Amino acid sequence: MVTVTSNNIKIKSKKISVFYGDKKALDSINLEIPEKKVTSLIGPSGCGKSTFLRCLNRMNDTIDICRIEGEIFIDDKNIYEKNLDPVLLRARIGMVFQKPNPFPKSIFDNVAYGPKIHGIVNSEDELNDLVKDSLKKAGLYNEVKDRLNEPGTSLSGGQQQRLCIARAIAVSPEVILMDEPCSALDPIATAVIEELIDELAKNFTIVIVTHSMQQAARVSQQTAFFHMGNLIEVGKTEEIFSMPKQIKTQDYITGKIG
Amino acid sequence: MTNITEKIKLSLSKRQRSEKRFKFLGFIGISFAILFLIIILYSIFSQGQSAFKSTYIELNIFFDEKIIDVEGKRDIEDIKFANFRKIITNSLDNYFPEVEKREEKRKLHEFISSSEEKNLMNLVLSNQELIGKSKQLWLLASSTIDVIHKNPEMERIVESDRLVDDLELSWFKTFKENGNLKFGFNKNFFSKADSTEPEQAGVLGSMLGSFFTLLITLILSFPIAVAAGVFLEELAPKNRFTDFIEVNINNLAAVPSIIFGLLGLAIFLNVMHLPRSAPIVGGMVLALMTLPTIIIATRASLKAVPPSIREAAIGLGATKFQTVNHHVLPLSMPGILTGTIIGMSQALGESAPLLMIGMVAFIVDIPGSFTDSATVLPVQIYLWKSTAARGFLELTAAGVMVLLTFLILMNGLAVFVRQKFEKKW
Repeated sequence: MVTVTSNNIKIKSKKISVFYGDKKALDSINLEIPEKKVTSLIGPSGCGKSTFLRCLNRMNDTIDICRIEGEIFIDDKNIYEKNLDPVLLRARIGMVFQKPNPFPKSIFDNVAYGPKIHGIVNSEDELNDLVKDSLKKAGLYNEVKDRLNEPGTSLSGGQQQRLCIARAIAVSPEVILMDEPCSALDPIATAVIEELIDELAKNFTIVIVTHSMQQAARVSQQTAFFHMGNLIEVGKTEEIFSMPKQIKTQDYITGKIG
Repeated sequence: MTNITEKIKLSLSKRQRSEKRFKFLGFIGISFAILFLIIILYSIFSQGQSAFKSTYIELNIFFDEKIIDVEGKRDIEDIKFANFRKIITNSLDNYFPEVEKREEKRKLHEFISSSEEKNLMNLVLSNQELIGKSKQLWLLASSTIDVIHKNPEMERIVESDRLVDDLELSWFKTFKENGNLKFGFNKNFFSKADSTEPEQAGVLGSMLGSFFTLLITLILSFPIAVAAGVFLEELAPKNRFTDFIEVNINNLAAVPSIIFGLLGLAIFLNVMHLPRSAPIVGGMVLALMTLPTIIIATRASLKAVPPSIREAAIGLGATKFQTVNHHVLPLSMPGILTGTIIGMSQALGESAPLLMIGMVAFIVDIPGSFTDSATVLPVQIYLWKSTAARGFLELTAAGVMVLLTFLILMNGLAVFVRQKFEKKW
């Protein structure tokens, strides 16, 4: 097992294997994710990086044919324990998806939804503050402060994605999972989100799946390279990109595979 | 290179020809459909529009005290049981003093609809001053006269083929020439239930019957079907048992509706002993028939909600039920409502299953509740169609017009609901 930083380990996966029906999508993944750092998962399409990400908040549970073996510890607690409620887990682990997916409701309601269903706030004022605060943290507040009642879907793609981030951090999760959050965005919107990720890493543990190696290099401190369901290499981002230990990693980052 | 271009050009003209051919066939198909639609609408409207007016005859009515109030006490009960028929026949006799034969008088007396007796009684009850006085009044003519009035060409056909004989026709002409004959709005059509006399028959009874029936159908089928659809689509485990149920629901949608009527007859009437001919049973039967339609519409519109919305909610820690209830269901509501309205208009036009549970009975009273005997619009149309009297012909067409109006309104509502509440994401 590779430990790359002196930081506390937030998430630890032990021999995680995932099957879709008979097909093995992930083969015995052991990976440690440091607290309040950005870890990026890279690899060619179909390598299992998104599958692994979705194991971390048990989103794969919603797929009927999906079967998961192994253990994942978050703060030394196994999230695949039988009596653990995945709903509770997902409240503690936020997720941002590939395609911005705001609810077809107002900007305010989008952010307020999480706090409302979990009963985090006690009063209307508290909710207003929380929504404002979350939008600020997501760097969106100044752009939307005058139109909080307009539908979230009326925003631009990059704004929608930041709205989704605001929605995720409104329930103050410990970890934020991002599944290719910039793949549907233009370079300028991408740059804004990347800056935001840097900012968020001060308070949250972030795991990001990305197709772009440059993005991984820019935003993350740790990088894990997946290939065909296997974790090939994990290490400090600069080390992975400057002197990869595995030949496959080198082939991928130099563009020979993937 | 040029060779390839030539080949493409050659195949291109062929492809364009086939496209043109297809467009042409499509155009012909649509034209036929529109043509037949126009024909059917024209035949219905041309036959039915005359049902909205009826013939009135002006008579000088003498409210004879000797008939209305023999004892002169102005007792309401006496007036109620007075022989108002006699009042009408007297004034008819005065109009044609030359008619003396008993048989001929009988024919003359049938010129005025029997419903006017009650109207005259109400008139006297509301204004007792009239007793002992005369008044010019327009009275509703009987259906035979109405038919003659509406179809002037009938005057020219030979007596034996005509509804009325020469004598009656001459009286009719006399009324007409004296200006004592006019068309008025057919109030009975919208204020009465069925009757043996065409001029007294109306659609209100069957409209209310349809209303009560559909209300029961909606109350029963909508919540059950939506709940079933949501459960099957979102919450139920996918296994053989749910697959089996799904197949059966789809099959149920294709079951001939009369089967549901048989079921209603066997279970609701014979086992549960619910009232015969009642909207409550009709509604229950139609609810069974509508359930699969709404379930299928519900599932289809739930499926159409993009998975990203579900993922967003589940990713935030919403439970499956919250995800469905807060996001998926509201988004699919337009589709569900559209399906429901379509199902309801199907139910509105349904007659076969209702025949089985006795809603085909001849009912003169306007239903006031779910358990009163009633009939529904399509059955009423069927009843009128199968009645021999000439006057029912136009009533049939007019009934179809009323039914079509409601169907168009409901379908319009479905379109409106879909456009108004459909959210974009």
